[in-house]
This record gives sequence, C-alpha cells and structure tokens, in this order.
Amino acid sequence: MSNSHENVGRAVAVADFRSMAKVSVGQVLGLVEAIDEVGGVADVATISQEVDMDLDRLGPVLAAAEFLGLLTVEDGDVRMTDLSRKLLSASVRERKAILRRVIDDIPVFRMVLDAARQARRPLERQEVLDSIAARAGSHQAEDLFKALVYWGRYVELVQYDSRAEQLRLRSPSK
Amino acid sequence: MKDVTKSFFENGKEFKVLEPLRFGLAERDFVCVVGPSGCGKSTLLRIIVGLEPPTSGQVLFEGQPIRADNPQVAMVFQSFALFPWLTVQQNVELGLEAKGTHPEERQRIARKFIEAVGLTGFEDAYPRELSGGMKQRVGIARALGIEPLLLCMDEPFSSLDPLTAQNLRDEILQLWSNPDLPPRAVLMVTHAIEEAVYMADRVIVLSSRPGRMVAELSIDLPRPRNRKEPEFYGWVDEIYSLIV
Repeated sequence: MSNSHENVGRAVAVADFRSMAKVSVGQVLGLVEAIDEVGGVADVATISQEVDMDLDRLGPVLAAAEFLGLLTVEDGDVRMTDLSRKLLSASVRERKAILRRVIDDIPVFRMVLDAARQARRPLERQEVLDSIAARAGSHQAEDLFKALVYWGRYVELVQYDSRAEQLRLRSPSK
Repeated sequence: MKDVTKSFFENGKEFKVLEPLRFGLAERDFVCVVGPSGCGKSTLLRIIVGLEPPTSGQVLFEGQPIRADNPQVAMVFQSFALFPWLTVQQNVELGLEAKGTHPEERQRIARKFIEAVGLTGFEDAYPRELSGGMKQRVGIARALGIEPLLLCMDEPFSSLDPLTAQNLRDEILQLWSNPDLPPRAVLMVTHAIEEAVYMADRVIVLSSRPGRMVAELSIDLPRPRNRKEPEFYGWVDEIYSLIV
C-alpha cells in the first residue's frame, strides 16, 4: 500500500518536472513579482489580466512555480510562499542557491546526478534519455531531459555540451 | 544633443523624422525616450550612438562629436543581435575582442558580467538553447562587458513575453542600483509608457512624426516602484495625455 502511494507521488513529481521544460526561470520569477505587486495573493483570472497572458500560456508557468514551492494555488487563488518572498529579496547568486536546493531534491534530477557522480565521466545524451525513459516512460523523456539541462544549468549543477551531446556535473560558483 | 534633426530624402522630397532636439545626459541618469510608433525614437538612438548621422545639429559625448566606434557607448538591441554559432561566453567576449582586450582578461571580464546577469551555468550554451529573456541577458552582458559610460537600449523588452519582461526590468534595475557596475548613464527607448515610468528618473516624451520633444519629466517616485500606486498611475496618465 505504502509502496503504491509512493509511486503515485513520484509519478506526479516526474510529470510536474516535465512541465518545467516549457517555462523559463524569467517567467517563473516574473510571475512571482507580479503576484507580489498585487499584495501577495490574487485569483488566477486577475493574475492573467495583470500580466496580460491567457490561461493557456500562464498555466505552465503557474504549475512550475507551484511545483518549485514558490506559489500555492487553492480554490482559484494564487498565493506567495515564504520561499518566494525570500527569493524576491535575494541577489542573483542567492536566488540560484535557493532554487538549487529545491531542484536538487527532485527525484529524476537526483537520479541523473547520482548516475553522473558514479560514472565519473560525462554522460551521453542517449544514456540519460534511456535512464529517464526507464523510469518515467519514453514519451516523457525528451521533455524531462530538456528541463534537466535548462534548470540544471541555471542552478549550476549541470554542464551540457550540445555539440558533443554530453552532460557532466559542475560545481556551483562560490 | 545639440539641435539634432533628421530627415530622409526620396526623389528629391524631404521626409522629416526628427525636429530639432536638444537634451543632455549626466552621471547616474536613467532616461527613457517614449513616443508613438514611427516617431523617430529608434532613429534618435542610432544617431546618439553614431550609427546614423544627423541631418543637422551635433551629438557630443564628453565634449567630442560621437563616433560609432566609441568604446564607451554600448547598445542593447530589441532583436538581441547574437551570433548563433557562438556560445554565450563567446558572444559576450566579442565586444571585448573588438576593443583589443587580452584573451585571458577577456575571459575574466565576460565571466563577471555573465554572472551579473544570472547566466552562470550557460556559458557553453548556444543562443538556440536559450529562452528569449536569456538571449537578452547575453546582449546586456555583452554591452556591459565593454564597461561603457553610456548604455543605450532600444526597446529591449518588446520581444519578450510579459512575465519575462517584468523580471528582466527588475534585474536591470538591480544591476543599475550597484554603483560598482557600469554604466554611468542609461538611455532607453520604449513605446511602453508604464515601462518608462517604472524604470526612468527622467522621461523624454516625443510627439508623433516628425518627432519633437513635447515634455521632459523627472519621475521622482521612490524605488522600487509599484505600478499599483496612484502616484505611479498619475505619471502614466500624464504622459498618455501628452502623446495622444
């Protein structure tokens, strides 16, 4: 019973991380800033009007921000969290450190990072795709890989050479 | 800017773009030029950076006529103007290469400004791997890399979605608030009045073509500014009424 519950939780987490392939960090931060400007809480329709984006475009950004723990969405209301307040007052480098802690905890991200650490060599794109596919299904693998590279680069945990198609770990700048 | 005008000529006929304009920029000025589409804002910026000669009048930079190769003036373009075959690091280093900076120094300076705009981690990425906002950050890092006294920006947010644009505006203001970083003055052209009021200390309002200065306003709102405050909207309304 507990195993199946865990699996469902993991599947949801994997699916949410996939949605992050469709949004940029600038969009997520821009959304948090917009909600802060209207007092930290607003209904989705108001936000959509405020930022001049329809729900089709705003939806993935909201999902990503919620997944990262920066916003909560309940009964149509979007609310800032302590984490997003902290993020807004942080410097560029501190923002990366805050999001690094969140992203480092995402199971699919952790899985690839562990594999790279154990391999002690750059991972080929295809082998990363294969291991993601084995865990999350091949239909999700490309999107997850894209999210992994984009957010991994942003939080400075991943280095990706798109010409050689190789992924390696990197140490965040101090 | 000393009585700068600009006209284009076709079949012997004159099309006036800018009527005589006169204004100055001082240390720590953040100035926005606003006006309706086609009023000559971008032409004005091209004249200021020396890419386009004025028909009459003069643009002086520290007392000397401006030249297009002046390394103390940098430009950020609406369309990012990145080289797709170069990485982020190489795109940022390009301005320094043109300046003749030593390769090691080039690398160090580029890294400093890549970090300042939040792109550390993407040094080896190509423009196709970046979101629009990140591409514009590369453009900003490249401009700041040459450590200019004056930074000119031509509609730098108009190719971005509203959320990315808002985030980038805030981050540029955060960079601007750091007196240890260049530039010493910013001149930005925008058609978005709210954006001008949000960012500038001074707003120059141009009329429709031919562009002439209809007002020069000092925005004395404290920072960070909130677009929901009545005072903010007071300024926006005033500028709208001057243009429309």
